Amino acid sequence: MRKLFIPGLALVLLLAGTAARAEKPPSAQPGFVPLDELSLFPNDQLSTEINLNGAVLRLVAAATRDDPEFSQVMTGLQSINVQVFPLKGADADAIKTKINRAVHWLEDRGWKASVRVREKGEETYIYMKEDGGQIVGLTVLTFQPGEEASVINIAGRIDPAQIGRLGQKLKVPQLEKVPSKGKKPQ
Amino acid sequence: MNRIDDILTCNEALDLLEPYVDGDLSPAEAARLRSHLESCPACAAELALAERIQRELRSLPQLDCPPEIVERVRRQGAEVVPFRPRRMGLPLRVAAAAALLALSLGGGALFVRSQQQHQRERAAEIAQATAQARYALALLGRVSRRTGLDVRDEVLARRVVLPAARSISQSLSLSGVSRGAAPQPPVPDRGEQP
Repeated sequence: MRKLFIPGLALVLLLAGTAARAEKPPSAQPGFVPLDELSLFPNDQLSTEINLNGAVLRLVAAATRDDPEFSQVMTGLQSINVQVFPLKGADADAIKTKINRAVHWLEDRGWKASVRVREKGEETYIYMKEDGGQIVGLTVLTFQPGEEASVINIAGRIDPAQIGRLGQKLKVPQLEKVPSKGKKPQ
Repeated sequence: MNRIDDILTCNEALDLLEPYVDGDLSPAEAARLRSHLESCPACAAELALAERIQRELRSLPQLDCPPEIVERVRRQGAEVVPFRPRRMGLPLRVAAAAALLALSLGGGALFVRSQQQHQRERAAEIAQATAQARYALALLGRVSRRTGLDVRDEVLARRVVLPAARSISQSLSLSGVSRGAAPQPPVPDRGEQP
């Protein structure tokens, strides 16, 4: 019995350590939206696609300590997923239908609309997901006829005010320099 | 003539009998043995006996070993392979040690280089991920800037102006309904008045 005690204890500690380190998959996060499942846009025609998971975001947080606010936001996030689809020459109506379907998908799953704007053909939806009184998901869908449609999903511990402040600080031209998956940035 | 050191004792002669019968002795040794046998009947009798035994053994029919025994022996042979380390000479050992050292140093250098390469790649990945995260936030900022006015109007219209207007009209209509429901006092017609 005594012979088994030490290896048993070591095994328990090892399993406990592994469980502590193990991270929930993105799909297990309440604020995560499976963009691939929604299949809003044809994957091979995206102008930008970003898929960052929690582990990478923590590395980003660690690497950007010189920007405390940005680093702090990154520390709380579990995933960032972005898809941007150029609408020039595309079937805009089909995309619009899919965006509307995605809006229903979100609403069916307890996402609350924070902003819904429809003006001059442009549509913008900002949805938030709450869990235990805290915002754990933010999803933005945009549709700009003749330009582009996009979806942004951010999951994790979210402070919308902080994210908004950061977003305002970052200038648009910065967007254009970001490389996407094997595609030229627009 | 036999020299004194060519003379064999009987014990030495008996030791040589078996190799002699098998034809394993050198010509000189065989000659010395034959010389001894010529003068020693006892040893010659031993030789005759050895030769007879060999003849009779050779005349025995050759039997095949049963296949199961062959298989068992083969199995055991396959299972038990004794390890016999070969002893290397000093130059070979030095060469082997040098080769091992060179391999270790080369391997170590390769490992360090691959680690450095891996770290560089990792840093590049993190830099790209940082840029992508900033991109996502900037995109959010752009959306909110773009819709800022609309949002304000939307929020004001939907959550402040419309509800306020609705409640005002509701209260107005409620008061209107109560007035309508209650029997209207007849308006005195001034002409009917006495």
